[in-house]
Amino acid sequence: MTDVAIALDWWEDGSEGAISAWLVDDGDRVEAGVIVAEVMNEKVSFELFAPTSGIISIFVPAETPVVPGQVVARIAP
Amino acid sequence: MTPDREDRLWMYRIMYLSRQFEERIKPAYFEGKQPMFNMAKGPIPGEMHLSEGQEPCAVGVCAHLRADDWVTAPHRPHHIAIAKGVDLRAMAAEIFGKKAGLSGGRGGHMHLFDVRVNFSCSGIIAQGMGPAAGAALAAKLRGSDQVAVAFIGEGAANQGAFHETLNLAAVWNLPCLFVIEDNSYGISVAKRDSTAIPSNAARAAAYGMPGIAVADNDPDAVYRAAGEAIARARAGGGPSLIEIETTRLEGHFMGDVEGYRPEGEVAALKVRDPLIVYRERLLSDGFDAAELDDSERSAVADVDDAFAFARETPLPDAVEAFDHVFA
Amino acid sequence: MTETTSKRRLTIARAMSEAIAQEMERDPDVLVMGEDVAKLGGVFSTTTGLLDRFGPDRVRDTPISETAFIGAAVGLAAAGMRPVVELMFVDFFGVCMDPIYNLAAKQNYFSGGQIQCPMVLMTSVGGGYGDGGQHSQCLYASFAHLPGMKVVIPSNAHDAKGLMTAAIADPNPVIFMFHKSLQGVGWLGTVLGAITDVPEARYEVPIGKASVVHEGTDVTVVGLGLTVHHALDAAKQVAGRGVSIEVIDLRTVAPLDRETIRASVRKTGRLIVVDDDYLSFGVTGEVIASVCEDRSITLRAAPARIAHPDIPIPFTPVMEHFVLPSSAKVVAAIEDMMEAGHD
Repeated sequence: MTDVAIALDWWEDGSEGAISAWLVDDGDRVEAGVIVAEVMNEKVSFELFAPTSGIISIFVPAETPVVPGQVVARIAP
Repeated sequence: MTPDREDRLWMYRIMYLSRQFEERIKPAYFEGKQPMFNMAKGPIPGEMHLSEGQEPCAVGVCAHLRADDWVTAPHRPHHIAIAKGVDLRAMAAEIFGKKAGLSGGRGGHMHLFDVRVNFSCSGIIAQGMGPAAGAALAAKLRGSDQVAVAFIGEGAANQGAFHETLNLAAVWNLPCLFVIEDNSYGISVAKRDSTAIPSNAARAAAYGMPGIAVADNDPDAVYRAAGEAIARARAGGGPSLIEIETTRLEGHFMGDVEGYRPEGEVAALKVRDPLIVYRERLLSDGFDAAELDDSERSAVADVDDAFAFARETPLPDAVEAFDHVFA
Repeated sequence: MTETTSKRRLTIARAMSEAIAQEMERDPDVLVMGEDVAKLGGVFSTTTGLLDRFGPDRVRDTPISETAFIGAAVGLAAAGMRPVVELMFVDFFGVCMDPIYNLAAKQNYFSGGQIQCPMVLMTSVGGGYGDGGQHSQCLYASFAHLPGMKVVIPSNAHDAKGLMTAAIADPNPVIFMFHKSLQGVGWLGTVLGAITDVPEARYEVPIGKASVVHEGTDVTVVGLGLTVHHALDAAKQVAGRGVSIEVIDLRTVAPLDRETIRASVRKTGRLIVVDDDYLSFGVTGEVIASVCEDRSITLRAAPARIAHPDIPIPFTPVMEHFVLPSSAKVVAAIEDMMEAGHD
């Protein structure tokens, strides 16, 4: 199982961002390196990539607050 | 043309009021836009271009203007509108899209119009210059000593309308003044990357008019330069161009995280915040701290009043969208 | 916009920058210019990553000088290069229309085919988020009306990449309009239907071909860009009431794919056109006229159109949302039409 997390260095601690769109669905098979979500903090977008291949389970729906370091999904082989 | 005591106190108070206004807009703008920054949401949707740091440009110029002088302003207009005497309640209401707003909510923050003080603004870069020249021509034809002032950014000096209007104003000897607020950035593009020469004031000579560069975001220096230019225009001496070195303390628009600015640049600017610098100078010139505090308090009261009004006053009816398309 | 098994979905913004990057990789004559396109990657994220990959000679931030840099693009194209130029907001066309409609659009014609103008002008369109009357316009018809240029507007990421690739390859000037609400940049809202599968390989979506994105039998609803999504939402709603609508995504405004539209209305006999641009003298009138002048089509009901009224776009949301097209307005028009024609 591999965590998919908001990178620690994307924006300052204490600020909240949100996933503006999941580009895959819960339960989808994803390939390593594919963009799985667009994440936003203020007006800046970040791409969240799948670190490994496998089946993705999504924990955090779009448009809810997320913080750096937060695990938002997991990929099972 | 040095500012007297009364002028300086007025300038300080208006700079302070203007800053308070912008600082109050910020949280209102971000309401409904967290954690998802969706521009459509909240009581103030759309874009927002705030003027923190640029206040000296507005007060130094508008100190010389009467209600019947014209001012056109760009997409970053609040400090200029306030200095020109635009109705604060109606302006706040317009920004909140209310029926009691300057245009009943039709215009919003970039399209503020107040006919009582001949103020207007527009969102297309440099396009306020032509109308200022036209208003100046009207004054000249009527034999009035009114003047017209167009405020633009340094990025606008590369737009066609800038060059055309300067030439037209000079060849027709119009009573107008063009004021460039040089805050070094056109969104993400630094002046050195967009402009072939370091000073736009130097461009004035190419168009047959005086060009004055004002350094250091200094309200007194702006006052002196603008005073001379406006007096010259009123006396029939024609147009001038002033470029003021100012600072944009926030992003281009709200939500701009300014990744394109070198690290430490904004922090360094905030230390030289014109409000802080001017207050210190006034104190060392013999102004009383209590007097300045009083000004600040009354400015806050005015802004509080305007925002309370803007929040409470009702929205228009949707069908009013169809009014005023034609006169 | 069908699902495939490989999950590689992109936003329109990413699809656009991917298409441009792939073409720049293939062809050293492709370059990008515009305001804030280099360091910032475009105010609407159309050129993300291009500066790092291709350098400042081929990815250029311009001064605020639209007439000059768009005119320069015409010259670059005449000299055999393939410029992709960004006009930040279509509303800014007022300051630079001459090089577009009098030079780019007429270069091939005036030169009798000797000198082409293979340039792409990409520009943002659309409102609905409170940006006021000078930053929310669509102006599809203003450009489509003028001969010599092609005008395209994708409704989804798959078409965005294919149309951009086709536009860059096209020897003619192409105005590539992208709707701000569909970009997928989050801060302008997210329309999930615009985020679609996008193949990694190079492909083109043909310019001048509309697409039937939802098949049906009772009413043809024609849309472009954002209004395609209004129509698709409406299709779902009325299906529950037994009405089957066929939705056409124009994809290209000029040259208009009249054949696809006519074939559909020949089948359904009913036509509604949905456009978020101004009502009069625009896309809705052109589509309806194109159908009515075809003598082989018998209409079962008078055509209807939904568009932004002939007023400047108001700032305050209560007014703006009142005047803009919506899926609710499309549903109401469909029901009205079905009721009126009922025999």
